Amino acid sequence: MTEERYDLLVVGGGPAGLAATAEGSAAGLSVALVDERPTLGGQIFKHPGLRVTDHRALGRDHLRGRRLIDAAERSGARLLLRTSCLTLRGTEAVLLEEGAEARTVTAQHVLLAAGASDRPVVFPGWTLPGVLTAGAAQTIVKTHRVAPGKRVLLAGSGPLALAFPAQLHHYGVNVVAALDAGPPPRPADLVRMIGAARGNVDLLRDAVQYRSELLRGRVPLRYRRIVVRAEGRDRVEAVVHAEADSEWRIRPGTEERVEADALCIGYGFVPSVELLRIAGCSFRYDENLGGPVVVVDEWQRTSVPGVLAAGDGTGIGGSYAAEDQGVLAALGLLGDEARATPVRARLARRRAFAGALRRMHRIGAGVYELATADTVVCRCEEVTVGELEQAIDATDDINVVKGFTRATMGLCQGRSCQRQIAAAIARRHGRQLADVPIGTARSPARPAALAAIADQSVEDRGLFVAE
Amino acid sequence: MPSSVWLAAERARGPLPAETDVVVIGGGLAGTALTYFLAREGVDVLLLERSALNREASGTNAGSFHFQIAIHQLTARDTQGSHERLLSDVRLHLRAAELWQTLQEELESDIGVHRTGGLMVAETPDELQLLHDKQLIETEAGLETHVLEGVALWELAPYLNRKLLGATYCPAEGHANPFLAAPLFALRASDHGALIRTNVEVASVEPGFVVGTSAGAVRARRVVNAAGAWANELAELSGLRLPTRAEGLHVNVTEPRAKVLEPLLQHIGRRLTLKQADSGTFIIGGGWPARPELHPARYSTRWDSAAGNAAVAVDVMPQLADVRVVRMWTGVMAFTDDLQPIVGEVGALPGYFALIATTGFTLSPMIARLLAAHIARHEPLPREYAPDRRPVSTTGGD
Repeated sequence: MTEERYDLLVVGGGPAGLAATAEGSAAGLSVALVDERPTLGGQIFKHPGLRVTDHRALGRDHLRGRRLIDAAERSGARLLLRTSCLTLRGTEAVLLEEGAEARTVTAQHVLLAAGASDRPVVFPGWTLPGVLTAGAAQTIVKTHRVAPGKRVLLAGSGPLALAFPAQLHHYGVNVVAALDAGPPPRPADLVRMIGAARGNVDLLRDAVQYRSELLRGRVPLRYRRIVVRAEGRDRVEAVVHAEADSEWRIRPGTEERVEADALCIGYGFVPSVELLRIAGCSFRYDENLGGPVVVVDEWQRTSVPGVLAAGDGTGIGGSYAAEDQGVLAALGLLGDEARATPVRARLARRRAFAGALRRMHRIGAGVYELATADTVVCRCEEVTVGELEQAIDATDDINVVKGFTRATMGLCQGRSCQRQIAAAIARRHGRQLADVPIGTARSPARPAALAAIADQSVEDRGLFVAE
Repeated sequence: MPSSVWLAAERARGPLPAETDVVVIGGGLAGTALTYFLAREGVDVLLLERSALNREASGTNAGSFHFQIAIHQLTARDTQGSHERLLSDVRLHLRAAELWQTLQEELESDIGVHRTGGLMVAETPDELQLLHDKQLIETEAGLETHVLEGVALWELAPYLNRKLLGATYCPAEGHANPFLAAPLFALRASDHGALIRTNVEVASVEPGFVVGTSAGAVRARRVVNAAGAWANELAELSGLRLPTRAEGLHVNVTEPRAKVLEPLLQHIGRRLTLKQADSGTFIIGGGWPARPELHPARYSTRWDSAAGNAAVAVDVMPQLADVRVVRMWTGVMAFTDDLQPIVGEVGALPGYFALIATTGFTLSPMIARLLAAHIARHEPLPREYAPDRRPVSTTGGD
């Protein structure tokens, strides 16, 4: 078998990965772009399953996505769809295409642009059918054209607490209310936003549009309200919410119950860092950027030689910043300082805008304190808060808690519950969440069948023989 | 859920005593078990662990009981005296089997001990002959094993690849929960008055003894090195050298499936240990190497190990082909040079003991009890496991 080699291997076909692919290919690099989905675009530009005849009808976002996808498709880069990256050592990656056997690919550089997923939030009733993340709701509405319910409640925070209900409403979904755990924007915030709006007209226009969509649809938008629990026998029948203080802790006596058959949860995003962690990259911690944030330099280079990172996987910054970061990563490989300068300036303005919004974005610690003793935290292994707390009494080491309770050991490998457990450790042992080390990173980044991994050609020297 | 079976964090914190009788260094299965057996004998004992209890090999192995003779024990089978050595190994395994069967009662809690039986498969005529050869020794030592071929094997294990020629069945084999065994020993040791201190790193061991640590110094009459894969680094602090080394091993863990595999599966000629846990996940290992990293980083995964390990597993049990791997572990194990345990006093430094069970989950509680009886009541220890024994090479053709 001939060795598969590239100048640049890009993991993730969202805005960051697409931009880097197009830019790198245009400059003559051999580029391969890997994405586990059957189509490019990532979570944000994922296109509908139906054939699209009128792109314009789907909005500006869709057009921007189409432009990025077209550029990558025309770039001459090798597009490896339905393909996951299982692990990484330096710039050597193990790839697995659906239905095929795993293979090792080497590259001069690897750009990890795996994006982000909804911040997992655990509260009583969160595992009931009818409770779904905002991202999942968006997918079923956009891709399958199915409403998540007849009476949909959105609970979340940040700009997406506006955007999702607006989008759902736009698609004809009956949104009974949208709850934002953060405070309403103050005049000072608006002034800051407008001050930072230079170069961010798109972002500002989006926010205004979402707001007016909600107003037009008479969707009640309520600030400082947080989900308390979902109720129902076999699926969601009602949702209880309450007033949240500045740390998003529930103010007792302010609970309200509203009938709903679907509850969408959107308390921001967390970067997908599995591969970055397996690669051994350095991290810092910023809850408002999604938690663990990989450290990158001005060319998006991580602490591991040859490994680059861009997009929401490097800290939540949105699709515009992701695209810029993808371009910067590719320009860095070419040493193109001249073209990088304006991109950096634009990126700095995006960050200023995000900073202006931060007061409203800020994640309160209370988001990790909604579960009660019998709430299941790890749904793969069915471990409750009570069981976890018993283990946490004995240790502040998340790896030991894993061993004691089996939490995080299921199919999702802790993607949903790891942060909840870390938050419980922080509370019990009087530490900051940022200071609780997360569990050891383990391969594979995605589950893979034994037969797909198996390689009969690896020499077997017998049991327990020293290497 | 029963009341906690884990030592509360508070009970593993606090100042060190000025002096004690025995300092045990290393909070894995060997160290916690020894601390328990010593405390039960009324010995004044302090256990020191540099990080958390059960964090290394004791908590990163599959919890299997290996009682029948395995390939690594057979590699020196043609050398003079190996027959006696194998007999003594199997007899020690028998005592370990008996101890595991009574341990839950003794420790008053469930640690997941299951006697599932174990199968060691052979796929070539030479390997099958090995099974017959070793069965004679196992029988002589008193361990019940049967070599199964043809229909007898397919009836017991219909999931095996029909190209296999036979398998040794050992009814006594099984497993316990490696996440519970050492922590429970620690809890019961503490209940019996032992002092346990975690996050305390030993920096020096001066004759006499004065054990210097990150939390101050302790005077002790006796010191036990139970540092597993790091036993030699600890021994060096006292100018000693123990015949052991550390090896990183790979494990593949799968998603859960309906229970199909009752016994522990091993291979007499290839690297495979395979079992299905109570949770339904398959735990697949067998000695594939992991890449060394500097402490405290975990050893990293070698993809060729993952791939080779998966290949043997699917070859032996074809229906595993579509079962998905969700996690790959590495664990660092202590291997003694002759692959036999080290239990006893170091001749060059009276009062300094070593307790290292090579591939040790099976044997650690057993040899810990032997050493505790020796320290507390001067009961004799098997000479063949003394730290100063004459080394027997078992590296065979390697």
